[in-house]
Amino acid sequence: MIEWTEQHVMIRDAMRKFVETEIKPNLEELEHGDSPPYDVIRKMFTSFGMDEAARATFEKRIARERAAEKNGGVAENGKRREGDIDTAGMQLIPIIELCRYCPGIVTAMGVSMGLTASAIMSKGTIRQKERWALPLLTFEKIGAWAITEPGSGSDAFGGMKSTARRNGDGYVLNGNKTFITNGPYADTIVFICKLDDGSEAKDRKMLTFVLDRGMAGLNQSAPMRKMGLHSSPTGELFLDDVQVEKERLLGETEDSPARAGTKASFSMERAGVAAMALGIVEQCRELSVDYARTRVAFGKPIGEFQLIQLKLAKMEVARMNLQNIIFRQIEIIASGKSLDLAEASACKLYAAQAAMEVALEAVQLFGGNGYMAEFQVEQLCRDAKVLQIYAGTDEIQISQIARSLLAH
Amino acid sequence: MKILVTVKRVPDPETSIKVKPDGTGIVTDNIKWVVNPFDEIGVEEALRIKEKVAGSEVVLVSIGDKVAQEQLRTGLAMGADRAILVLADDLDPLGVARVLAKLVDDEKPDLIIMGKQAIDDDSNAVGQMLAELLGWPQGTFASQIELSDDQKSASVTREVDGGLETLSFPLPGVITADLRLNEPRYASLPGIMKARKKELKEIPVADLGVDVTPRVTITKMEPPPSREAGKIVASVEELVNLLHTEAKVI
Repeated sequence: MIEWTEQHVMIRDAMRKFVETEIKPNLEELEHGDSPPYDVIRKMFTSFGMDEAARATFEKRIARERAAEKNGGVAENGKRREGDIDTAGMQLIPIIELCRYCPGIVTAMGVSMGLTASAIMSKGTIRQKERWALPLLTFEKIGAWAITEPGSGSDAFGGMKSTARRNGDGYVLNGNKTFITNGPYADTIVFICKLDDGSEAKDRKMLTFVLDRGMAGLNQSAPMRKMGLHSSPTGELFLDDVQVEKERLLGETEDSPARAGTKASFSMERAGVAAMALGIVEQCRELSVDYARTRVAFGKPIGEFQLIQLKLAKMEVARMNLQNIIFRQIEIIASGKSLDLAEASACKLYAAQAAMEVALEAVQLFGGNGYMAEFQVEQLCRDAKVLQIYAGTDEIQISQIARSLLAH
Repeated sequence: MKILVTVKRVPDPETSIKVKPDGTGIVTDNIKWVVNPFDEIGVEEALRIKEKVAGSEVVLVSIGDKVAQEQLRTGLAMGADRAILVLADDLDPLGVARVLAKLVDDEKPDLIIMGKQAIDDDSNAVGQMLAELLGWPQGTFASQIELSDDQKSASVTREVDGGLETLSFPLPGVITADLRLNEPRYASLPGIMKARKKELKEIPVADLGVDVTPRVTITKMEPPPSREAGKIVASVEELVNLLHTEAKVI
């Protein structure tokens, strides 16, 4: 793929119109008020038929899985068909367009229908998928994916303190989770913890449970204050002797390979970050070019100064690189594969750093205006920083790339 | 019922328009093109009728350059069934009306819905001319359309100077859409995917055997005069004096 298809351009135009009509005028409220972003996400889902499309895809997949179950095999992914490039773009283009104004909305949406639903889809039984994943995929319900703890972020598995203890046929869950996107409002929570069976902490199995809002012993905090991404509510979760039946254990067996599923989620999450970065970079570049043309200093537009030109040129280089990364990702999704973790890490590392650098340059180019909230680059700059931290810090991406290089 | 809807390719109303230095037209480089917003309202109305009346078909028509395909695809993505693109350069309103009248002969629609005008040249003429050429009733500037249960007649509320007027007439007929008729939907993502597979027929205007010789030609275009800077006056007396002696309004 070397350029956007006609279908991609139509999706982009439709999505851009939606963002400019529904999000841009409400940006102040989404970013600085306490309105959660879920109503506007739902409006997007119904306006574009994304809910119905998600339901149809889900039903096809479940039908395939049921057929495979009968034959005693594993469901195969569909073969690549004509039009798959268009469909693959359909997943990434809305992310790009939304991030031009509101990376927070993408985070809230991505965690719910991406991470949370995907965790259930990759490890759950058919019954669990129908009960919990489908309403997340159609955005009827809001999901949260709870892995990070006060004492463990990048070292999520090693430092994890949350526990599940066997209790008759079910389990008792305990632990604190933090920095949980959608935590304050989530209806469905995927909770990752270790099985406390008396063995050494490092030998314990990872288990994943699905919790519903309002269960006895589960508390969801109010939104936390943070540097950016204000339109994405982040919170803490407190579990105090939460009793669950086995039907809430993903896969309904202690032997499901928890870590493998989690790594697949990481890989997908990292791919999404590249699309987010492209949206931020496109917007910063566009705003900066306009500003460089119209802002006059020393009697001429600042775009005529070479130091400003250097910033604009760097922004364009970043935009082109990110777009090429996205083209590759669309190709990979269309071919039914996914990026391996090291490549996803490399893309994510570059994308996050490029977005941060471009957003900082945009603030600098705008000067005093850039530091003011009235000009959008200020928000995009605060929002961009998170791309270097969540979904694996830059440092973790670097170590994963290096480890993969040195392994051979 | 079969509904024919026009879809004209026009510059995005958000685009700033520049007139060419020689006055022969507008500068078209870097212009974003969209479906004429009034036509988009027409497409939406036709789709709403289709959703109510089982077995309806919505056929889009555009006249112009091959690139007008993009606008037809947008209408197909919204949910129209098929599209016809008549390839022709710069027709005047009568030429457009004659081309449409010929297509009506072939397609035999029960209803034609058009935007009340295209936002490029704002002629506001084709709907009226087409109704006249066909000898069909017309309801222009519609803000509300109601069809009888048997779809044999239409009741159209029009926005006229000083209020609303409601007309009823038998179908087939021509209706032109005003701004408040409806709010067009977004093309859904599955709709965009399906649009690619829908029929889009191209017909060179010469094949229609219609006389499209322009009766109207554009001799020159010029931008509106730029506004001159205002003047700040020191006192009410001076203001009154200037309004009297310079502006001559009092």
